[in-house]
Amino acid sequence: MASATALDTVAVYQPDGVLPLAELPGLDELGEAARETCAQLGIDEVRADDTLGAFDLAGRAAQRALAEAGLAADDLGALILIDSRAPETLMSSSATRLQDLLGARKALTFSVGGLGCVSLTPALLAARGLLAADPELEHVLVAHGSKPPTPQRYRHPVTVSGDGGAAALVSRSGPIRILDIVQETNGAYWDLFHVDYRDRPTDRWREECGDLTAYSFKLAVETRNRLRAMYRRLLERNGLTAADIDCHLSHNLSAGGFRFTEETLDIKISTTCFDNLRQYGHLGPNDVLLNLHTELERGGLQDGQRAVLLSASPAAAWSLLLVEIGEGAATHYL
Amino acid sequence: MPTAPATTTVDDVLVFLTAALGTEVGPDDDYFATGLADSLFALELVTFVEHRFQLTVEVEDLAIDNFRTAARIIDFARTRSGAAAS
Repeated sequence: MASATALDTVAVYQPDGVLPLAELPGLDELGEAARETCAQLGIDEVRADDTLGAFDLAGRAAQRALAEAGLAADDLGALILIDSRAPETLMSSSATRLQDLLGARKALTFSVGGLGCVSLTPALLAARGLLAADPELEHVLVAHGSKPPTPQRYRHPVTVSGDGGAAALVSRSGPIRILDIVQETNGAYWDLFHVDYRDRPTDRWREECGDLTAYSFKLAVETRNRLRAMYRRLLERNGLTAADIDCHLSHNLSAGGFRFTEETLDIKISTTCFDNLRQYGHLGPNDVLLNLHTELERGGLQDGQRAVLLSASPAAAWSLLLVEIGEGAATHYL
Repeated sequence: MPTAPATTTVDDVLVFLTAALGTEVGPDDDYFATGLADSLFALELVTFVEHRFQLTVEVEDLAIDNFRTAARIIDFARTRSGAAAS
């Protein structure tokens, strides 16, 4: 069994600027079918601030997480930055830039990524591994700034991306215990979506799907098969049934995407996800942290209740996180 | 109700496709090529095939050529059923 890991604090940062769907850049360049698909995603608006890059968004969320946890940056044992989709500069290190911004001088610092919207999971796996391997290490901060890699925020036929930051302080104990993590990948889809950027100006960068049929059919059905098997395995190895899960929180791509997951697993996705999708669009690896944060703020999860956080990426990667609210038996035995 | 593969016809598949796609399609119409199919439709289609033909669609079955027309769905299901029976 994996050693104890918990989310001590989850913090999010959303820019103030609101961009309504109707004002998305590049909307007028889309064909009628693509515009119709975009309008049916279940997204009304996103947050957008052209003065803030992915690093700024991650930094603000990280600072907020430390403040909310009441933890000095010097007390961080490790700092893990989830890479942005498009680095602001090549060669430089955004991870150590964040270390410098926070003043986390003692933190073991590195970045993870490569799995798109699922990249939160390798960050949590790394945090769990560090906590298990080093008894002197107590706090790992995971942070990500989500900013679409291209000026066009619409990724046909999938979603609309907004700007936002999220950070999670991972410790051995805390109010959100991570009971289990499962993750799978299929490298055959490594470049299904891509942005060609060399030798062309930024305003000509586009998120392109190399094979729409592979995305809408083959990957969709593989996602169904994978998620079903992973969900069954997650429950079985924790001695649980679907009835033991009080809340399902998904990544936010589209209302159709939520229905797909609901039908695949015969579950209900929390309305929190629909609300956040409508208001913020897609925020990459931050979606499930945002949804968990909102669900807790709304009082949708009480002590002792369990949630499954679902993420999938066309990279292709899939992950499920099983969490339980409350400090666990240690706080309940009285 | 599930029926044996041998008794399911192209017309049965077309009834499903017309309802799922919201438009009439012919036995050899490629609804993927015409952009009518999305991932939710894919889920419905594969669930229909599994239920109707009493088989499980595995990842290795997911060649688009098996599913792009009603006629090909029938061929795929009969091949799979024949393979299972042999």
